Amino acid sequence: MRIISKEDFAQFVNALIKDNSMDVIGVKAKGDKFAFGPLESASDLRLDYDVTLLPPKKYFFPQRETLVTYDTATGFSAKNEEIKPSVIIGAHPYDIVALLHMDEIFKETKSDPYYFEKRKASIIIGVNIQNMSKYCFAPQMGSAVIDYGYDLMLTDLGNRYAINIGHAKGEELLNKYAKNVTDALARDIQLVGQKKREILNMSQQKFDFPPELIPELLGKTYEESGFWEKHSEKCLACGSCVLVCPTCYCFDVKDDTDLSLERGERIRTWDGCLLEDFAKIASGENFRPTRPTRYRHRYFKKGKYLFDRFGFISCVGCGRCSSNCLPDIANPVNLFNDMYHETVSLGMEVALGAEPTVDIQTEGNIDYVPRLATIIKKQPMTANETLFEIKLDDGSELGHSPGQFVEVSVFGIGEAPISVSSPPTKKGTFQLCVRKLGNVTTKLHTLKEGDKVGIRGPFGHGFDSEFLKGKDLLFVAGGLGIAPLRSLFNYVLDNRKDYGRVMLLYGCKEPRELLFSEEMLALAKRDDVEFKPTVNWCPENEIWSGNIGVITTLIPQVNFDPETTYAVVCGPPIMYKFVIHDLKGRNVPDDHIIISLERRMKCGVGKCGHCQINQIYVCKDGPVFNYAKIKGVPEAL
Amino acid sequence: MAKPKVAFFDFAGCEGDQLQVANLEEELLDLLGQVEVVTFREVMKEKSDNYDIAFVEGSCTRLQDEERLKQIRKNAKLVVAIGSCATIGGINSLRNDKDLDDVRKAVYGEDARLFDSYAARPIDAVIPVDAYVHGCPITKEEFLSVVKALLLGKKPDIPTYPVCVECKKNENVCAFERGQFCVGPVTRAGCNSCCVNEGTICWGCRGLVDNPNENAHKEVLIKYGLTVDDAINKFKLYFGWQERKR
Repeated sequence: MRIISKEDFAQFVNALIKDNSMDVIGVKAKGDKFAFGPLESASDLRLDYDVTLLPPKKYFFPQRETLVTYDTATGFSAKNEEIKPSVIIGAHPYDIVALLHMDEIFKETKSDPYYFEKRKASIIIGVNIQNMSKYCFAPQMGSAVIDYGYDLMLTDLGNRYAINIGHAKGEELLNKYAKNVTDALARDIQLVGQKKREILNMSQQKFDFPPELIPELLGKTYEESGFWEKHSEKCLACGSCVLVCPTCYCFDVKDDTDLSLERGERIRTWDGCLLEDFAKIASGENFRPTRPTRYRHRYFKKGKYLFDRFGFISCVGCGRCSSNCLPDIANPVNLFNDMYHETVSLGMEVALGAEPTVDIQTEGNIDYVPRLATIIKKQPMTANETLFEIKLDDGSELGHSPGQFVEVSVFGIGEAPISVSSPPTKKGTFQLCVRKLGNVTTKLHTLKEGDKVGIRGPFGHGFDSEFLKGKDLLFVAGGLGIAPLRSLFNYVLDNRKDYGRVMLLYGCKEPRELLFSEEMLALAKRDDVEFKPTVNWCPENEIWSGNIGVITTLIPQVNFDPETTYAVVCGPPIMYKFVIHDLKGRNVPDDHIIISLERRMKCGVGKCGHCQINQIYVCKDGPVFNYAKIKGVPEAL
Repeated sequence: MAKPKVAFFDFAGCEGDQLQVANLEEELLDLLGQVEVVTFREVMKEKSDNYDIAFVEGSCTRLQDEERLKQIRKNAKLVVAIGSCATIGGINSLRNDKDLDDVRKAVYGEDARLFDSYAARPIDAVIPVDAYVHGCPITKEEFLSVVKALLLGKKPDIPTYPVCVECKKNENVCAFERGQFCVGPVTRAGCNSCCVNEGTICWGCRGLVDNPNENAHKEVLIKYGLTVDDAINKFKLYFGWQERKR
């Protein structure tokens, strides 16, 4: 521990500012509140602040940030921006803990390069809390005093600061820019210890139970009748609670084209799961359409889903959500206390559960830059669906496995997740069966053969075609659900001898909506495939000789041995419940049912949060799931 | 490809939105590289009925305005409402709560009988509208963003969330914390919280979000010290037409 007088500390800060080799950021007054901002003089620093409006995460994960630039003439490029080193002065311990949480989240599976380039170029000088916001409960969350995560940590000792050195970067900064730094005496070390103990008693918030129980508690109240409705009745769905949160990381990605209509930037902006369209997809389906479901998701994400995945409750107790909620319903302490009392009053016991098994792998960086690709062939299939054959311009294979998806970029419009319809056995090109629905898919339909698109991926966890070898396969496809299934189905046909019986039940609304109709006709002639199509209805002017009725009416028409058969199911969200019910009625075991789910897969790499169903990221953990593993996930089906 | 022809029209309103367009300055030339303006009373003499995109400012306040609007709809491939009066009925709708004869007398005095009028309404109450540029007045940025979207064949990106989102991103001190009363929590964002950024409040000029929790926000206004009447008035200033419809 070192000691520096307040005058010398001010000199140190001014020396940093004068040096101009880094951005010097500190806590300043903003009206009656405080905010991190660029410092022009040490005298602007307000290290006695209670809490800042926004946490310092805005310097690593800014409100608006360019990920990719594009030019129709040259394609997509990574943002090329020099990162200026920065020093951030005055972060409270809870905000530093929050950054450590963000680090874990942004490096899971693949690292987010834009976050880490800024994180690595920064030096964090923390300060121990002098005044605590009345909403703060950091002491209870174990994030009010820390001995890690910072480069330097200041403690105010009246006319001087004690400085804990957390990292060599901090020490170097001190050596280079600070004068008259002395080693701390025993008296000062004792004083710092005393200050820290005082901080632990500063909170005005009170948990009626140990907050370590939050994950267990949440586990008991997901479907608690009326609980979430009651607590969210006054929710404005304004997103304030999540936008000011130091651990919230969900983002949206949008294309911003300039007036040339040829060049632009792909921008990432903060998003929030409380906002109405957060889980809405292009078809209009909203997977979390009501305020109570979105309100619940926030608490579960913080208190359970991230805990189960990373081993920490993703709340550091800064109290910003509480202080920013006008109807005063976002205070986690109040909500969890109510939840605790209600749970206890229902006679349920809440005991500490087992530690979650945390297995975070990380390998390489996320590549947000699409690869340029060419539309080789465009084959209209119905009024709204077209089969696009696409070739990567660098000549490489897509290298997907059946069931995976890609993110398709159309210049100036944006990116959309599309499942690959062709099997990996098809070399040189790949196919996407696309329905005209949102901005990207509508524009894609106007492109011509030879036009360029961008491709990221393949992403996600596809079908396990190896495991399925030797098994009988019952494919059940509804409407556009045939698109992802076809990648496996055609793979199986290309390796026909490796698989047992192959059955395909395929339904759509009416005959003219039938996809891959020529292939279907060919299938009907094969004797190694049992193929049954159906339509919900047949208008008078169309011809149909097959079954009429919803997809489930086909299930009784096939004989199969549930012990040896695996059902592979994909269709509109509404279809799963009914198909799975009927398959179970035919004694198909849960783990013999494999489904592919559709969600708003925006980033494709498990970061942006949009495709999350409870604790699962569809883009990363799916889109293909074994029913046995996902049946207990309430938002899945 | 020929540049799309665009035309500007005004109904009951202050023409402040067209003024924003006329004031585009450096972007104006870039914009004129993409479109051909054929009718724009505020800036040019020429007129034409041959146009692809019609920008309509102002609310519809008379039966005879309906005919003109319908003709615009017939001529244009796309109709874009610009400004609060056109998108949500705007402050013109304030009068809808009052007796129409009194309103006419107040405005036109003895000649009131010469002037027809009916309840003020946004133009989508009369004709289908393809896109909206909200605001009172509209911002140049959003106008350009909507125009670019239309030229690219994309649905304009109009937020469905409230102004609070932008206020938080801009790190504003909440108007309520400053002792003021604001309808940002129920007002559609997209303005980059421009008024609150300048230290004032959100008056609601972009209209209600699609699914506002109005009662909860009225409770907030009253909790922070507004009278019930004042809270209701806060909602009337811009939300009159929308609230009546809900």
